[in-house]
Amino acid sequence: MDIFDSEWLVSMLTKSSATPQGRMLSLFDVLNDWLKAPKISALDAQTQPNIKADQALVSFITTQAKACGAANPAMLAEHIVLIARSAAQQVANHPESNDLIHAKEVANALILAQTQRNWLSAINTPPAKAFIYGIAASTFLIVISVSIWLPELIKETRPAIAQTEAATVTANAMNKNITASDAAKMYTKYEQMRNGTCQFPEALQIPDKDKAIYLENVVGGKLPNNLDDLAVATTYLEKVRCNFTPMLMANSK
Amino acid sequence: MSTLREKILTTATNLFQTQGINSTGVDTIVAVAGTTKMTLYKHFHSKEELILEVLKQGHQDFQSWLSDKLTSTKKPSDKLQKLFVFIEEWVTSPDFIGMGFIKASAEFPNEASPVHQLSSEQSRQFRQYISNLASDAGIKQADILALQLSLLFEGAVQAEQMQRGSGAMKYAKKAAKILIDGALTP
Repeated sequence: MDIFDSEWLVSMLTKSSATPQGRMLSLFDVLNDWLKAPKISALDAQTQPNIKADQALVSFITTQAKACGAANPAMLAEHIVLIARSAAQQVANHPESNDLIHAKEVANALILAQTQRNWLSAINTPPAKAFIYGIAASTFLIVISVSIWLPELIKETRPAIAQTEAATVTANAMNKNITASDAAKMYTKYEQMRNGTCQFPEALQIPDKDKAIYLENVVGGKLPNNLDDLAVATTYLEKVRCNFTPMLMANSK
Repeated sequence: MSTLREKILTTATNLFQTQGINSTGVDTIVAVAGTTKMTLYKHFHSKEELILEVLKQGHQDFQSWLSDKLTSTKKPSDKLQKLFVFIEEWVTSPDFIGMGFIKASAEFPNEASPVHQLSSEQSRQFRQYISNLASDAGIKQADILALQLSLLFEGAVQAEQMQRGSGAMKYAKKAAKILIDGALTP
């Protein structure tokens, strides 16, 4: 029997994970468990790697690859199955080898290579020229305005300054603007998520009042506008489960 | 090497890659090479010996080509990164007809077969070559990275052998960069 051509394998993968990435990567765990189970000795040694014989499996992986936004789902699926077959053959011949475990990391890198652009573009979209020109123009106007109004502001009395300070505190309390420190923490989390394969909570399970914040600030990677939204976003960010392997950490652009 | 022997080797290499090793008979090889069975058996005692010679020659050519390409790159970590850049160039070139040891390993899965043994040895040598590059680049788990990169490479070449222009190597190159960058990170 060739395990790669079995309905059992596809049914095991179908129920293995809640995410398409998880279902693709489970191929390596299921094969490893199967090959290392008692009384199961080997793959059919005479079976040649033949992607056509693995059609049901390739089709299943292609569906998962499409679901996670792979650039070329069919090719990703074929490549993953070829790697899995090669590693499984090695484990079948040498049960002490960890080829399937390392092959899983290769498959993870391949999935990232085909899907990374989508996630990166959500976070690192380069600002348009018009936006940069707008910022430059605004800065110029602020400098001009300050130079005109500064002498008037200096004439203000200390009670007036005190009033202004009090008003600022009140305004801050009302707006609850997030600080640079909050922003830095959020960006750190976004960066960590970008460097892993992440499983997000299902949007359907999130209360309607939080759904917009979740989609915009957690899934979309956009910084919240105020402390209330930050608190909500942080709660859901902590529920995102990411798979970080040492090789997939920093500099994986 | 005699010209005739060389011609038989070149012909066999092309036929094995394009039609398959098991599917190519000695009759076809001598017909395409324009020689006789007697001449073929004078240089190679059996078809198996011819297959082994084709594999040895192909692997030697590949290793020499890759080493030459990497000579101009001095920094070890850059050599590792450029490995897949050069391999992609090779795989996507019109002359690419496949990788001998990968095809042979697929067609001769029985471990007792001398062809399987040689193709496994060549696969191991290629992995060792990557492992040495990784060690030179200061990567501690060089053997693991080498195993991962060779799985990636062999899978992409198989995909490309099955469908020319599949683009498998393009994404393998990206995935290799992710794996190498990860391994280089302390």
